[in-house]
Amino acid sequence: MSCAESLRLQAYFDGELDAPGALEIEAHLEQCPACRALLQDLEQLRVAIRRELAPAVPAALRARIARRLDQEPAAGALPPPAPRSWSRRPFWLGALGGAGGSALAATLLFLVLSPSLGSVLLDELVAAHVRSLMPAHLIDVESTDQHTVKPWFSGHADVSPVVADFAAQGYRLVGGRADYLDRQRAAVVVYQHGAHVINVFSWSERGGLSQQTTRNGYHLLFWKNGDVQYCAVSDAGWDELAKLVRLLQQQATRDNPH
Amino acid sequence: MRFEAQVMPHLDAAYRFARWLVRSSADAEDIVQESILRAYRGFDALRGTDAKSWLLTIVRNCHATAHRQQQRRAAVPLPEESDTEHGYAMTATTPDPQHASIERDEERAFEQLLSQLSAEHREVLALRELEEMSYRDIATLTRLPIGTVMSRLARARAALKELWLTQTQGEPGVVR
Repeated sequence: MSCAESLRLQAYFDGELDAPGALEIEAHLEQCPACRALLQDLEQLRVAIRRELAPAVPAALRARIARRLDQEPAAGALPPPAPRSWSRRPFWLGALGGAGGSALAATLLFLVLSPSLGSVLLDELVAAHVRSLMPAHLIDVESTDQHTVKPWFSGHADVSPVVADFAAQGYRLVGGRADYLDRQRAAVVVYQHGAHVINVFSWSERGGLSQQTTRNGYHLLFWKNGDVQYCAVSDAGWDELAKLVRLLQQQATRDNPH
Repeated sequence: MRFEAQVMPHLDAAYRFARWLVRSSADAEDIVQESILRAYRGFDALRGTDAKSWLLTIVRNCHATAHRQQQRRAAVPLPEESDTEHGYAMTATTPDPQHASIERDEERAFEQLLSQLSAEHREVLALRELEEMSYRDIATLTRLPIGTVMSRLARARAALKELWLTQTQGEPGVVR
């Protein structure tokens, strides 16, 4: 039944043939019904495997791994000589030597006072941010126009966040995305600031968090507006993040003056 | 030094691969967690190599280690198809009860289908179809000649197609 060319056909399907080889197989396909049927099988099987047999990482595992990694000494810090021990310290100790001293104080205060904020949520936020930086994951709706992004959320997320473009101030709106967070469909507004991507997550939250912290090297800045909880996540500096937050808060006041 | 940026994006790949290797989600979770820790501790060794292949190799080694330990512990040798089922599920957490039953159904279907494929076939299929690795990379990772990779892949595909055909009889449209 199967043709002598079936292995080469498979290589063709897998993109493993050079151009002359591919041309030969294409010519062969014209006259070989067995190979045409095999090619169709290969295509259908691939689609079915990717659709049915590609399990995603359970959120609990992702969170458990992030927690576990936080307990590890910094990667590559196999017995570091004393003068170079900075690599074992949390990065923000070095980063916040000067201007960010108050931010450091706030971070420490937050870590001491607020053990109730689930570390699972922090892990979810950082994981979602990191995932968004992978190719094709950053945005679901691409637009610099708030009037395109905002209505998109009404069908895709459980909250309606503040959306505005602040290109003039250096924060360009690039689009929106829906992420699953804290068991809800969170709305994510994505900004580009210089080389940094800033994800602004929003979801509905009865309590309310208004703090800042650092996780796996990313900054997380929380604030609350009405029933909507916001969190900006980025590797941009604290001051840069805080500026965007101020712009968003001012915009919220303009949107909703009472 | 950016472990999160270079390695963590491949967490999904590591989990999918582990899931195909062991067929029980609890065992897969343990393997993935152990693999990420090993990767983290050995991050210096990555240097320029492809992070995804590197992480999948670690997953494969972790699985092999767990598999060997399991075999050594077993008083009576088990048949190949069942001997990876138990053993390193000690640290698995209890899943959220609300989602547990749906997950269990999906998991059963997944396990049922994959349990009928040989370990060698599962491995090569996962690397090619899910992780989209080239023949050469698969050959390197599995330490097989490329020709063996090609013929094994062809047999694995034929085997899975047969299984799918028998399993989905009566519900046309998945795979003909």
